Amino acid sequence: MTVITISRGSKSMGTAVAEQVAETLEYECLSRAVLLEASEQYGIPEIKLTHALHDAPSLLERLGHRKDGYVACVRSALARHVARDNIVYHGLAGHVLLKNVSHVLKVRIVADMDHRVSIVMRQEQLSDVDALHSIQKMDKGRMKWSKSLYHVDPSDVSLYDLVLNVPRFGVQDAADLICRGAQLKQFATTTDSKRDMTDLVLACEVKAALVDEHPDVEITSKGGNVLVYCAAGERHGRKVRGVFDSLRKDIDGINNIEVHVGATPPESAV
Amino acid sequence: MQALTLDMILVLVMIAVAVFLFIVEWVRIDVVAILIMVALPLMGLVTPKEAFCGLSSNAVVSIIAVIIIGAGLDKTGLVNNLVGPVLKIAGNSTSRIVTAISITVAAISSFMQNIGAAALFLPAIQRVSKKLKIPMSKLLMPIGFSAILGGTMTLVGCSPLILLNDLMAQFGLKPFGLFDVTPIGAALVASGIACFVLLGRWILPKGRAEESPTGSEPQDQEASAPNDGVDDIYEMKTPSDFTHYREPVTVDDLRERYLVNVVAIVEPPDYKIVAPPSTMQVHSGVSLGVFGSKAAVERLAKEEGIELKPQLEVFAEELTDQESGKVEAVVAPRSDLVGRTLNEVEFEGRFQVTTISLGRHDEKFHSDVANMPLRVGDVLELHGTWKRLQYLHQNGGLLFTTPVEVEELKTDKALFAGFWLVTALMMVIVFKIHLSVCLMTGAVGMVVTRVITIDDAYNAVDWRTVFLLAGLIPLGMATEKTGTAAWIATGVLQGIGDVPPIVLIAVIGLLATFFSLVISNVGATVLLVPLAINMAKASGMDPRMAALAVGLATSNSFLLPTHQVNALYMGPGGYRSTDFLKAGVVMTVLFLVVMVGMMYVMYGI
Repeated sequence: MTVITISRGSKSMGTAVAEQVAETLEYECLSRAVLLEASEQYGIPEIKLTHALHDAPSLLERLGHRKDGYVACVRSALARHVARDNIVYHGLAGHVLLKNVSHVLKVRIVADMDHRVSIVMRQEQLSDVDALHSIQKMDKGRMKWSKSLYHVDPSDVSLYDLVLNVPRFGVQDAADLICRGAQLKQFATTTDSKRDMTDLVLACEVKAALVDEHPDVEITSKGGNVLVYCAAGERHGRKVRGVFDSLRKDIDGINNIEVHVGATPPESAV
Repeated sequence: MQALTLDMILVLVMIAVAVFLFIVEWVRIDVVAILIMVALPLMGLVTPKEAFCGLSSNAVVSIIAVIIIGAGLDKTGLVNNLVGPVLKIAGNSTSRIVTAISITVAAISSFMQNIGAAALFLPAIQRVSKKLKIPMSKLLMPIGFSAILGGTMTLVGCSPLILLNDLMAQFGLKPFGLFDVTPIGAALVASGIACFVLLGRWILPKGRAEESPTGSEPQDQEASAPNDGVDDIYEMKTPSDFTHYREPVTVDDLRERYLVNVVAIVEPPDYKIVAPPSTMQVHSGVSLGVFGSKAAVERLAKEEGIELKPQLEVFAEELTDQESGKVEAVVAPRSDLVGRTLNEVEFEGRFQVTTISLGRHDEKFHSDVANMPLRVGDVLELHGTWKRLQYLHQNGGLLFTTPVEVEELKTDKALFAGFWLVTALMMVIVFKIHLSVCLMTGAVGMVVTRVITIDDAYNAVDWRTVFLLAGLIPLGMATEKTGTAAWIATGVLQGIGDVPPIVLIAVIGLLATFFSLVISNVGATVLLVPLAINMAKASGMDPRMAALAVGLATSNSFLLPTHQVNALYMGPGGYRSTDFLKAGVVMTVLFLVVMVGMMYVMYGI
């Protein structure tokens, strides 16, 4: 009973591994479904959500914070899915979006560059130089995205519980290893971790509801007690407070909600 | 008009820098004053002796003495003893309560620092509010304004008036006597009280009545959404398998998840701790004393499988009213806590009390309170043993609105305290000895007769105010010495044309009001007194009246919650800035009208 996120470099056979793991453990395998759900719930075209998860925000987008809003919506949809447990998620940024949940096994799939180049050459009929260029461009884009939105380097191994070089193992053996890892007791769902997950779902929902008007707020939730951290400005704080009634109406599970202006949010805030 | 000299330009630059720093507050205003004190002789605008003469000025000595006398009166409970009789006279009517307390506060404020007088009555006002179900917002603003106005009743009532004679001395003008301003001050206080009694219902915010001690009426709707019902103490016991197969649970986890504060805990085998640290783990099979609403405590019991005892058993002694309790404390102006979080100052470790909630304006915060940067007027709800709360009261930079027996009052010394106050006043009135000498005699008398120890006297002195005064005095001197004051005065007079003295006084009053809102009242006095005297001289008016108008009008600080008293009362009164603006506009206009009118009547300007 756990959740597995599989982060992959482009053309690293991550999808194949994720599907194999899901099949072996009889878990639900998720990727695009999360985007579809977010798109449906928040009324945002899927293409925009995909773009938000793929490309780093431009200067204009950073000023407008629109991309933060899209990412918050995807995160909210993902959190809701993952709360159901027994999930393999191999979409983008799972390790970041679910970084503080203890029963999530975070896996990074890598492959050596020669292997990746050969896949691109074969799939896209490109020369080796062009294929290398294409992969480097994709890697750079993801790095930029991750750094600009979450200030983390996706190639930093400390973000993951397990890093596998798939071509060395093969898809089946890599999947077996992940399955064994997922069955370890430290990744089992506990009452506490399930509660953390419920808290995360609520925090993500509140964030998604606020992010359009208040992109710089950060949210925590514990047992239904929601804290909205607002960087500065009493006026801004009052505006956030102004929507509390509608938040209570629209989102289930809010026991108490406060806005803290000028306080430093904890690392776990979304 | 005289041409600008280099020295005049330098003084103007210094004034601009000072005003800018006062407004932006990048550094504290007393530090700005010290910077000016050092910069002026370096620029050759004053001599080294003149630069530091503020430290030995009559104004500085007077303010030190006034603070020591105030502390002595406080220590003997002499002033405190007024609270009971005043409330008795006041009865149950809001108007009478406002009038009685306001008059008393104004009278005390005329001999003590305004903020001290205002703080003194805060607990009593809160009790009256609860008992008679009168909203705090209806009481605090009139009383706070009276504390400010009371400062205009004597020449030692507020820093600008204390400073006035020193600033006038440079011009060889006859100093004012201690009670020369009393008729004007009394008229200002009377008009302020009348204004609130007559117009209070329109200019004061409606507000809500304080929760009664019995908790019979509904609480603040906004704040109490998760916590309906009155918070109380309960005893609980964790099951024997509480920590099995789970992450350690801390006191803080229970607070953040259930909004229930663990105020006492039994550490195995049976060591009882009141106000346990938030990082303390909650083990299996231990008793907890918790503080929270019934609903929140029942939720905790249900979700965590913790037994809720029908009554206090293990903590029957520790959590009774005799041993421990809950108090409300306000973050005082100039407290070290301002701008810092409770965690930053290691509040919990130093004072060993539990922070239940933080109140700000009309909001109450329950979660992660220890990481919120504090502001003046924030109301902290604290629980702990009386002993620890007393220690906090003495050392924590907080003003307690709930009474705590802080220290044994030296009631047997009350007679001595009264004697030295009267002696100091008699020396001024009868023997016409210099004000600073009289006041220092009173202060030293209190030390000699052991009303207050010399260490307590040193500790009582607000050195920030002392250095603010001492640092700005040389700026006033430089403004006059270099001819800058005369130059500005000529310019202003040319601008407004030939006007009668009464209009000129009104203009000076307006200028002083404006400057005291954007920079400190002391800064405004130092800058404007030389200017006003020069303007008066140029237009053939009595320059003493112009100086007096500045000294009085710098107390006309009601529009914004920038004055210390307003900042102090803002939190407990649940006021917003707009509330001050609304009542402040009326009060500001009234102040100017009464001041000018009284000066006209009294001195025939």
